[in-house]
Amino acid sequence: MKRYEKKSDDSSVTVLSFDTSTAAFTAAIVRDGILIDSIISFTERNHSVRILSEIKELLSRNGLQGTDLDAVAVGQGPGSYTGVRIAVTAAKTLAWAWSKPLIGVSSLEALAYGAWQGLQEANEDMAQDRDTWIIPLMDARRGQVYTSRFTTDHCGKWEAVDGDGIRLIVDWAKRIEEEATLESQVAAIWFVGETAPHQATIELAEQSGARLRIMACDMNAAAVGQLAELRFRRGERDDIHTFVPNYTQITEAEAKLLAASRGE
Amino acid sequence: MSDMNSSTGPSSDSDYLLLAIETSCDETSVALVRNGREVLSNIISSQIETHKKFGGVVPEIASRKHVESITIIIEQALREAGVSLPDIDAVAVTQGPGLIGALLVGVVAAKSLSLALDVPLIGTHHIAGHIYANHLVGDIIYPAIALVVSGGHTEIVLLEEEGKFRIIGRTRDDAVGEAYDKVARALHFPYPGGPYVDKLAQEATEEVVLPRAWLEPDSYDFSFSGLKSAVLSEINRSRMKGESPDFSALARGFQQSVIDVVTTKAIRAAKEFGVRQMLLCGGVAANRGLRDRLSSLCEEAGLPLLIPTNKLCTDNAAMIAAAADLKYRRGQFSSLDLKAEPILSLEDWSV
Repeated sequence: MKRYEKKSDDSSVTVLSFDTSTAAFTAAIVRDGILIDSIISFTERNHSVRILSEIKELLSRNGLQGTDLDAVAVGQGPGSYTGVRIAVTAAKTLAWAWSKPLIGVSSLEALAYGAWQGLQEANEDMAQDRDTWIIPLMDARRGQVYTSRFTTDHCGKWEAVDGDGIRLIVDWAKRIEEEATLESQVAAIWFVGETAPHQATIELAEQSGARLRIMACDMNAAAVGQLAELRFRRGERDDIHTFVPNYTQITEAEAKLLAASRGE
Repeated sequence: MSDMNSSTGPSSDSDYLLLAIETSCDETSVALVRNGREVLSNIISSQIETHKKFGGVVPEIASRKHVESITIIIEQALREAGVSLPDIDAVAVTQGPGLIGALLVGVVAAKSLSLALDVPLIGTHHIAGHIYANHLVGDIIYPAIALVVSGGHTEIVLLEEEGKFRIIGRTRDDAVGEAYDKVARALHFPYPGGPYVDKLAQEATEEVVLPRAWLEPDSYDFSFSGLKSAVLSEINRSRMKGESPDFSALARGFQQSVIDVVTTKAIRAAKEFGVRQMLLCGGVAANRGLRDRLSSLCEEAGLPLLIPTNKLCTDNAAMIAAAADLKYRRGQFSSLDLKAEPILSLEDWSV
């Protein structure tokens, strides 16, 4: 086990964050909750090619070295299996080689958090005293999505209602609509992220009750860094050696073996 | 290759320490090697127990396992070598060929280390690694012929000089190791069954003589799928007649056919190209029958033979360091944009 220097809560914290769980490669430097610099790129399908060059460039153009960082933050998934493995492997190895704490953040939570900040900036949500649900989506093919649910308000509330999972969008959207209709405290519902493939399904789920709103947006590592900093200030650390992506499901081969052992 | 930048390298006689990573299939391996030949540590974490229950390597599971163990194995390799991160002068990694998802973990980890330590990166060819495993056990005299036999590869490679690879023969279908595993399955052995077939063949008193696929008279290529089918149809034939097939005689027949073809072609190549040494390598080089036959044929031909120890025959990172040494001494380094390649030309990887 490595030893980390203890940071008091009010000292400055600089975090390098990145995420490769979606089609975007994104990396950021966040200091005390503020985005210092970031990179977002869609040019390379294979994030493994450019990831370290981009990180190197990001650090050097901000005059930073690994030793200047307080933590390495990474989107832990879910998302593309290969994609998530790339960022997680880089984060584990960099944190280990630099002897820096590793902080994993749910890629879905980062997607939701980034979207919520965007909505606030655009002043899209007018209800001051009621809650907003943010439902991040990543396409998982065959009508499925990686998704979760957060509830938030304008006083800084940010809580998970449902954890990360793979769900059928048709059932999920219907359930959200039904629950929101019964819940008077909820003023707005936003499906955010990779919404395009599922727009029609979400619209169909809208009955007479709650209005389901949609905002397409990309993953942004700034949100990974901000969420990681909150964890860091709470004294939370991930164990570098045992840190793995959150795939949300076992492999197909394991599922088949399990089914066979149950005599299915 | 495009991502190799030539630069003024360190002088060939300087003392240097290389950290190498190999994750091309189902072994996570990290080695620390001094001056390209002195193995300080060579940690191999095999996933075989995990893949056994699936009857073969499951790529997605292999990738997941590599992520689970990569930093643990790096740390263990450093500890066992008694060195620390700042001592490392360069990082080498298997770039290909191999399972893409598995390669990616090693490549990303190696690139991360290269960035964090600010040392050069050397993308390395997996088969060059198998061949240069021989450099860890002896001196290579050029020109040499390498007979590469493993689970994924069966090749005869001519090395006219150091670091220059020319493939003169390769399998047109199954690799030797693949054929062994398929035959082993037919003989009811668990995965990986190669060593069981070898052992059974060694102990056999009878032999079911099976065909040899020589292909065209001047070809150094191989074909093993017909031989595998011959084993299966022998088993079926016995069962149709209500007899139980003689597995040990079949194992022997299969092994004899494989060994006969690969060794004969390797010796013929050695003679045609007038080489001064034979190199045997790859996972199947651990096969007792193959080692014995090639040894006696080389002795007859007055040809020195090198075979790595069993641990250096199977996939391991020390062999990757041994091959990367070719590039290190020439200052041929990879960029941080090194890309894992499931298919990678050995000839193009030549120095």
